[in-house]
Amino acid sequence: MAKGNNQIEKLAEAPVEFIKDGSAFIQKCQKPNSKEYLKIVRSVGIGFVAVGIIGYAIKLVHIPIRYLIV
Amino acid sequence: MAGFRLIDVAKPFLPLLPEVELPYEKIGFDDKIVYTLISGLIFLFAQFPLAGISKESTNVLDPIYFLRSIFASEPKTLLEFGLFPVVSSALIMQLLAGLKLIKVNFKLRQDRELFQSTTKLFAIAQYFVLANIFIFSGYYGNNLSLTAIVLLNLQLVGAGFFVTLLVEVVDKGHGFASGAMAITTITIATNFVADVLGINQFPVDDEGHTEPQGALINLLQSLRASHKTYTGAVVGAFNRDYLPNLTTAFLVVGLAAAVCLLQNYRIELPIRSTRARGTTNVYPIRLLYIGGLSIWFSYVILFYVHIAAFSLVQLVAKNDPTSIIYKIVGGYAPVNNLLYVPQFPLSLLTPPKSFLECLIRQPLTLITFTAFLVGTGAWFATNWQAISGSSARDIAQQFKEQGITLMGRREQSVAKELDKVVPVASAAGAVSLALIVSAGELLGLKGKGASIVLGVTGTFALLELITMDYQQSGGQSALAQVLGAPGGSF
Repeated sequence: MAKGNNQIEKLAEAPVEFIKDGSAFIQKCQKPNSKEYLKIVRSVGIGFVAVGIIGYAIKLVHIPIRYLIV
Repeated sequence: MAGFRLIDVAKPFLPLLPEVELPYEKIGFDDKIVYTLISGLIFLFAQFPLAGISKESTNVLDPIYFLRSIFASEPKTLLEFGLFPVVSSALIMQLLAGLKLIKVNFKLRQDRELFQSTTKLFAIAQYFVLANIFIFSGYYGNNLSLTAIVLLNLQLVGAGFFVTLLVEVVDKGHGFASGAMAITTITIATNFVADVLGINQFPVDDEGHTEPQGALINLLQSLRASHKTYTGAVVGAFNRDYLPNLTTAFLVVGLAAAVCLLQNYRIELPIRSTRARGTTNVYPIRLLYIGGLSIWFSYVILFYVHIAAFSLVQLVAKNDPTSIIYKIVGGYAPVNNLLYVPQFPLSLLTPPKSFLECLIRQPLTLITFTAFLVGTGAWFATNWQAISGSSARDIAQQFKEQGITLMGRREQSVAKELDKVVPVASAAGAVSLALIVSAGELLGLKGKGASIVLGVTGTFALLELITMDYQQSGGQSALAQVLGAPGGSF
């Protein structure tokens, strides 16, 4: 019985432990400063939108094709 | 002997399944970019409408609308299921092998080949099963003729087969990153641009007025339109629910910014060389150690749950509110003649259509949906980091080969020290991503929240690989010269 109780206790402790570890980790983390952050956002944004515009161009080509075959 | 092994199932199919060859020689930087981009564009181009759908309107509507954008699927086109079977079979097979639930000896070339073919076979089988669930549920029309059923099967499974090969091209080293990741990122980027800047017009009322798809373009067009007042135009641009509106656009951009921030959270472990004295450096361990994969995994599970429910409710019980299955699982209510919105028990795992609706009608979803994403994400992250070839032990091995060690540690205890950091990082990262996704989804983004998170993490992974490759190739790229980039812009 005692052993079973122990296990249940452990199971209940796991998430608490996890949250503690996780938040400690996040607090220890190195955070980007605003200059670094802006640079990253810019490069990701440019890449994302550029690829998106190319893809959208392909989708636009699709519209007349749909009219033709449907 | 070991008896039956799952990967042996693929043996008879081995000569039948076509396979993409590994590149004969090292592929150049430019070629890789072109391969990656073109596979994405071919995928986008393959969104042809299905032939053989009955013209009469059917009362079975789209039950998985909120899962579509994350798996790059488009309703009633060849890519009805998008990348879902490819992603799910790859993730599940690797998990099974990693957790030693199926026996694969990755040191043997034959076993590796068999494993690969099994994964492919599993994906194609899923395309087949999903296609027939949708066909027989009446999603493509009631009373389809036999020819129509065969035709639909051929189209859906054929397209799926083609997609698996397309993904394999990028996977096998012709392109950057994993094929599914690259293609999804490109599709998500395209959808984002279409939702914000799309100029294609849709008819919105009987008087022949049209509105563009893009939220921003819509605002500009409405402001100039003569049949709307100024305030009406602005309110409409933020509120319309039949096409993307500006509120969602802003939310999506906000989520993207949050993920960008998280992506740069890292712990920097000081390292030093064991060969040369006095050379020190840092080795970063990311918070988002496994990137967006945990989100993908959660959504794979979500997809299975909803497909199982859909086949039960629609195929067996015909969505009849009086049947037992409907009462246990929950049924579907048609909305806007477009979507099939799940009802009570099932709706616990469905992102609501709007935050207000969620609060008024079912506040429990707030808890269950978030808990589901967090739970599956954390479980996956903890297991995946151990089996994906970038676990603490693998990094320690790399350190040893490159002659570096952690500052103030002996070489033997490096693995132990890393083991304290890596699993925590990957689990904490997965949980924070899951929280961001559920915040977005519960505000009513209908899958766009999850997809933008995946899109941004995918973009990061791609950009990182591209930059690394660019530096290794010594900046010898015609593409970069044409674009006038000194290599710093990426």
